[in-house]
Amino acid sequence: MLIGSGLITVLVLTLAGLAIWRGPRPSDERRWTIWWGLGFSMSVLAVLLAFALRAGERIIARDDGTLQVEAEAQQWRWRFVQPGPDGPVQTEGVLYVPAGQPFDIVLTSRDVIHSFWVPQLGGKMDAIPGHRNVHRLMADAPGTHEGLCAEFCGIGHAAMRFEVVVYDPADPPPFVSAESLP
Amino acid sequence: MIWMARVLAGPILWGALFSGIYGLHGLGCGLDWPNRETPLGALHPLAMIGAWLLGLALHAALIRWNRALGDARQAMLVRAGNWIGAVASAATLFPVIATSTCG
Amino acid sequence: MTEDPHAIAPNPPQRALPLHRQMDRIWSDLPGWRGSVASVNHGTIGLRFMATSFLFFSIGGVLAMLIRAQLATRDGAFLDTQLYNQIFTMHGSIMMFLFAIPMLEGLAMWLLPKILGARDMAFPRLGALGYWCYLFGGIIILSSLLFGVAPDGGWFMYVPLSGKTYTPGISADVWLLGVTFVEISAMAAAVEIIVTILRLRAAGMALTRMPLMGWYMLGTAAMMLVGFPPLILGSILLELERAFDWPFFDVLRGGDPMLWQHLFWLFGHPEVYIIFLPAAGVLSTIIPVFARTRILGYGAIVAAIVGLVFLSFGLWVHHMFTVGIPHMALAFFSAASALVAVPTSVQIFAWIGTMWAGRVDLRLPMLHVIGFFATFVMGGLTGVMLAMVPFNWQAHDTHFVVAHLHYVLVGGFVFPMLAGITYWMPMISGRFRVRALGEAAFWLIFLGFHGTFFIMHLTGLLGMPRRVDRYPDNPEWEWLNLVSSIGGMVMSVGFALFVLDIAMQWLFGRRSHRNPWKAQTMDWAMALPAPSYNFASLAGAGRHDASVTLPLARGEGLLPGAPRDRREVLVTEPGTGRPDHVAVLPGNTRLPIWTAAAIGSFFLLMLAGLYWATPLAILLILWAAWQWGGFMGSRRDAEPLAVAPGLALHEHWQMRNTLAYSGTVTLLVADATLYASLLFGVAFLTVIAPNWPPPDSGLGWPVLLTGAAALLMMGLGLVASLLAEAQRAAPPGRLAALAGVAAAGLALLLLAGVAWQFDDPTRHARDALRAALLGYAGFHGVVTLMLALRSLADVRQGRTSAMRRGAAPVWQLFQAFWLGTSALSLGVVALQEIG
Repeated sequence: MLIGSGLITVLVLTLAGLAIWRGPRPSDERRWTIWWGLGFSMSVLAVLLAFALRAGERIIARDDGTLQVEAEAQQWRWRFVQPGPDGPVQTEGVLYVPAGQPFDIVLTSRDVIHSFWVPQLGGKMDAIPGHRNVHRLMADAPGTHEGLCAEFCGIGHAAMRFEVVVYDPADPPPFVSAESLP
Repeated sequence: MIWMARVLAGPILWGALFSGIYGLHGLGCGLDWPNRETPLGALHPLAMIGAWLLGLALHAALIRWNRALGDARQAMLVRAGNWIGAVASAATLFPVIATSTCG
Repeated sequence: MTEDPHAIAPNPPQRALPLHRQMDRIWSDLPGWRGSVASVNHGTIGLRFMATSFLFFSIGGVLAMLIRAQLATRDGAFLDTQLYNQIFTMHGSIMMFLFAIPMLEGLAMWLLPKILGARDMAFPRLGALGYWCYLFGGIIILSSLLFGVAPDGGWFMYVPLSGKTYTPGISADVWLLGVTFVEISAMAAAVEIIVTILRLRAAGMALTRMPLMGWYMLGTAAMMLVGFPPLILGSILLELERAFDWPFFDVLRGGDPMLWQHLFWLFGHPEVYIIFLPAAGVLSTIIPVFARTRILGYGAIVAAIVGLVFLSFGLWVHHMFTVGIPHMALAFFSAASALVAVPTSVQIFAWIGTMWAGRVDLRLPMLHVIGFFATFVMGGLTGVMLAMVPFNWQAHDTHFVVAHLHYVLVGGFVFPMLAGITYWMPMISGRFRVRALGEAAFWLIFLGFHGTFFIMHLTGLLGMPRRVDRYPDNPEWEWLNLVSSIGGMVMSVGFALFVLDIAMQWLFGRRSHRNPWKAQTMDWAMALPAPSYNFASLAGAGRHDASVTLPLARGEGLLPGAPRDRREVLVTEPGTGRPDHVAVLPGNTRLPIWTAAAIGSFFLLMLAGLYWATPLAILLILWAAWQWGGFMGSRRDAEPLAVAPGLALHEHWQMRNTLAYSGTVTLLVADATLYASLLFGVAFLTVIAPNWPPPDSGLGWPVLLTGAAALLMMGLGLVASLLAEAQRAAPPGRLAALAGVAAAGLALLLLAGVAWQFDDPTRHARDALRAALLGYAGFHGVVTLMLALRSLADVRQGRTSAMRRGAAPVWQLFQAFWLGTSALSLGVVALQEIG
């Protein structure tokens, strides 16, 4: 997408540059407005939109028994709940998820609007008081990622960070499990 | 100023259709329509697709019959208005047949 | 002479200089500072708008530099977090509400009458009122920064963060009240621009032949007319919640913070196009001049404007892709956001095609046009990328978005405006510019801009969210930010140089001859600097270009001079431009500044929390509003005025379809949008918000009957208003006006009865919404009552006759609107009670 945008920018600017630096030449209204204006832009956009919608369909959360973890945001900390061998486990500021399998994160807020984002894992989703948003993510390999609050939430916004610990599902930390809660 | 109304008819129809179907979508998700079955499938997509097709038919009618007397530029703008509305309705609302409803 | 059957014969030529003196005496501002606050002339007001907005632009720019100074290093200790939050909130709010919108309003007010061949805007006093509201509101907002109580919740003020619980002081109230105060000027400008374009064009200038600038401004004003009411409503609701605890956005009591986001972005996205369209109008005006050719694809561009105006209202949810809205709804808005790029692309290729056809002369304005191309195209493409849901989820609320929006706004607004300023400066100052300074300014701004923002895309993709003041754990963002900060400083120097260039031109520039760019449009068909009255006589059918300069200055056109010592303009039919009547415009008056001060006293009392004293301010506003009517009538029937040989037209007092009537219809469109937004709020909270259904009201029939009785009174009032006009020359007319006053008063009393029965609005959002609906009806009741009283005064003071109708037609419009919206509101309450 970045490359495509770059190419289009270069193309348009080249046309503009040619138009400016070359002398007057016949210029057909239909060619510019219909072919370039309508035809070119609409075909690019149609292709782009089709891809985006397909990708969007693939990544939205569905009710299909995927592993669920919960995040509750509050000025200015994150509280997570993940399944454990002896029932749900609550953690502060650290979320444990298995590698290589999708999980749904359920987002709620106790005060103002926050937004859950782990740049390395993908898209973000807001935590809104009175609403329960579900967002699907997946981590490919074990490791630790930085997470942050992406929606401005007051004076402690910049420091509202958290950590995501991605573990190998074959070897989970003792207090969590990769099985969905019943 | 009837001419101006003719130019705006297509875009206004798009506006009505867009807000109507968006409203229908929100209402349906609120009232659990996706799980209400009708002989032709779930009620929610059915209602939206029905509204969309009806709207497209109205757009077609505009393209066929909404024409302006007057000079070439006026006639061109009425034609353009008709098509702007029709293309907008087709392009912005086609997700009713392409994506999942309330997920 | 042309062979045009509509051609109007020319008036006999006069000597240009005496004509100029006669006109200037009537049209220019009074001397001294006392005179300058009384000015209503569009030239003065328009320039004031632009100069003031540029001042706010520099203040916003200084704030931006503070932000860049803070972010240059990862542990920036330059500002504390509290102050940093205030500064980025104020930067966004100032640039949007105190720079961009007023700038385009000023451009429209200053330019439109000139380019359309008119002498002034349709409502000179309204323009002045708008300016004072803008200035006073801007001062209120700005002074909060000095007192350390500036808004700090981000320029889109999301609730609940901006609610009373999380923002206890007055900082959020400053934003809500200040911005609403300023938006009075936006609504005034929207009404004024629409009526001016539709009804004050030069005689015979058909709508489809007017300069493209007219179409762009018509589109802009139409969008302002329906785009601003949702914001104004949202601000009123949030202020009601903050001041009186009416829970519109409180989830525990049936409100929903999502309602604020919908209302805000319902305004916020069209806003982007409101800003872009006038800039595109400047481009469509300037490019053909410097390409020495005609614009290519006039019809396609007009169609593109129509498309943009509509489509831009189908995009607002793309600012809310991460709030948990179902994918199908996102897909609608994603598709619309992609589609909106099409009309923009049509325009861009039409401009390229225009340059292709001509030989481009690279003068200074054209450099800024190139700056536009190089910047805006990329901003548009990152916009399309952001319209795609999966990408948006990644980039939303990061510096990528910050980079995108600056590319769009600086590329799509600031560069074209700089082009416009340099292009029209000779008309403003009457001078050529000093060489070389402007080019240096352009290159500094251009390179500084890209140095700041190009790299910011990368900062965002690397995960830096917006609105953080420190990033101690992310050293990888540091060098990018440092580069951006340096670029920002370079850009600031460029803007300073730009201002210096303008000042030098004013002080030391060589005197310019007429039409220095050899432009085609009528704005150049006058002496430089532009005279206060624009045209000593008005262009007739057939020729609406810069070639008519001398005949018009000699009084050969329509309505020459000011022989009756009044500001007279020609009102035309909206579509064809056929001359319809002569409107007499008000001259210099201090009423606008007093009215703005009265309105300001209301906002200040609200801000201070002195709610008990606000009725005093309201009385003051009503008193000021009453004074406005004083000019709007005549006590005598006049003979038609000779406009040209063989063409005599009535004065506006003897017409029904006056400018004021058109203006009222336009205003009611905005008013209806506000009401529709309120109904949207009712529907949205009913369907979406948690904690519904609300507790039982137990109201039942008594309240519905009281409401129905009020409706009956409003209906009777409508009949009275119709009779008052029909019988205006006979005694029953007076009786009808009196009955109308009584009916409006009774209806207001009955509404008070409804209010007495309603539940406490703080209990649940439903009760708060009902109170808001009632308040809306009450407000319109007061306006209607005022108009009924004005009609009664017209009859009593002999301002009506068989030919003169007074205020009755406008009264009818408001009476019918009051009745219609109140009936709908009662229907909503009835549905809630029964359903």
